[in-house]
Amino acid sequence: MQLRLSWCAATLLVATAMQAEDYVSVQVLQYNENDNRVSVTAPSIMINKDFGTDYTLNASFVADAVSGASPTYYDASSGASAYARNKNVNVSDIKYDNITFSEKRIAGGALFTSRFANRDELRVGANGSSEDDFDSGSGSLEYMHWLDSSKNSAITLGGSYQYNEITARCVDRVGCDASSGASEVKTSTAINVQLGVSHNINPQSYVDIAAFYIADDGYLTDSYLNVVRNNDGITADVVGEKRPDTRSAYGGILKYVNAITDRTTLHLSYRYYWDDWSIRSHTVDSDLYYELGSDWTFKLGLRNYRQSAADFYNSSDNFFSNELYASSDYRLSDFSAWTYKSNVDYKVTKEFSMNLSANYYDQTTGLKATYFMTGFRYNF
Amino acid sequence: MKTLSYIVLLLFFIGCAKEVKPWEKETLAKSTMEDAGGNALSKQYEEHIYFSKEASKGGGGVAGGGCGCN
Repeated sequence: MQLRLSWCAATLLVATAMQAEDYVSVQVLQYNENDNRVSVTAPSIMINKDFGTDYTLNASFVADAVSGASPTYYDASSGASAYARNKNVNVSDIKYDNITFSEKRIAGGALFTSRFANRDELRVGANGSSEDDFDSGSGSLEYMHWLDSSKNSAITLGGSYQYNEITARCVDRVGCDASSGASEVKTSTAINVQLGVSHNINPQSYVDIAAFYIADDGYLTDSYLNVVRNNDGITADVVGEKRPDTRSAYGGILKYVNAITDRTTLHLSYRYYWDDWSIRSHTVDSDLYYELGSDWTFKLGLRNYRQSAADFYNSSDNFFSNELYASSDYRLSDFSAWTYKSNVDYKVTKEFSMNLSANYYDQTTGLKATYFMTGFRYNF
Repeated sequence: MKTLSYIVLLLFFIGCAKEVKPWEKETLAKSTMEDAGGNALSKQYEEHIYFSKEASKGGGGVAGGGCGCN
């Protein structure tokens, strides 16, 4: 909840037929931000098992250990808690700095695929996650229909429903002392609908195109973050941020994959996103794979992301007064980001392979992060 | 206009397409043609990092979820 760093279980690109095989995969993520901000260690496991040719079960589990600090405004004079909120605080006592925290989280998911006589697929999924201040459960349903007898084109329609319970710091209660640790339980839901088409262009390339709609409803505020209101130059109020209780988001994604040579494969994708918080974003992603011999595969990737700010965002401590919605969360600001990606995969035997991935994330907000992933996969 | 450009691009690809026979799908079935080179866990990690640090989401399909992250 606090850092929005936990787990999203199995995601599948629409209508991209996957190789049927049994395997167990283990990965460990080590994620570190600059300025001693967030640090995450997250081991995970995934098991994929076919039952004949008609059924496949995919299950995954992850445990996160998150520690570090995230930035927000607070009343430094209170001393008791860096999250402290108060009215009529001396402006000189208002600080914007990293607030330390630590939390643990576990999450798991399962996806069951059933294939019919015409090889259409029905996918049913369930996921759950639990942490100190956030519990979540979701279910999904997806149907893939082949559009031609040679199975080169497919259409996929899917939907999911997610229910969240948030143990929120007492943001909304008047006079509530947030530094005392008081909290209240809030809820939110998310509905996600996606329609996609996949098409094999030729024996070396395919294209995916999809449109999606996401409706969030309920408590969407981050109860750990503060804003400054009514700054008259002498005193100001340090209060919890507040976001709208609904959010409707729309988007489209186009992906193109081409085996340029026998050993080189290029992945390109573009996503456009917009929502009724006035956030617009463009994401361009590219990955280049090169197979060296039969055992080594190298990947280099580059991703660019840019977004506009939410209409209730401002980073200043001298901007908000009595606006209904207000946030100084840098993630809602106008920024861009680059990701530089690399991975090497080594096939030790026909059944067993290992990988090591090193990546660098650079946001114009000042956030920079390195993350490494390593693990193995065993086909059985 | 931008959306139209992408649709035209897609139609171009499809228009240039020929029927791929089953025996011609060896390359399409390679792991390097799959998302994240077939490493679903690393893809999930990356998607989640982006979800945690950026305001946008969606496009990766509906299967999954369970994020305690909103």
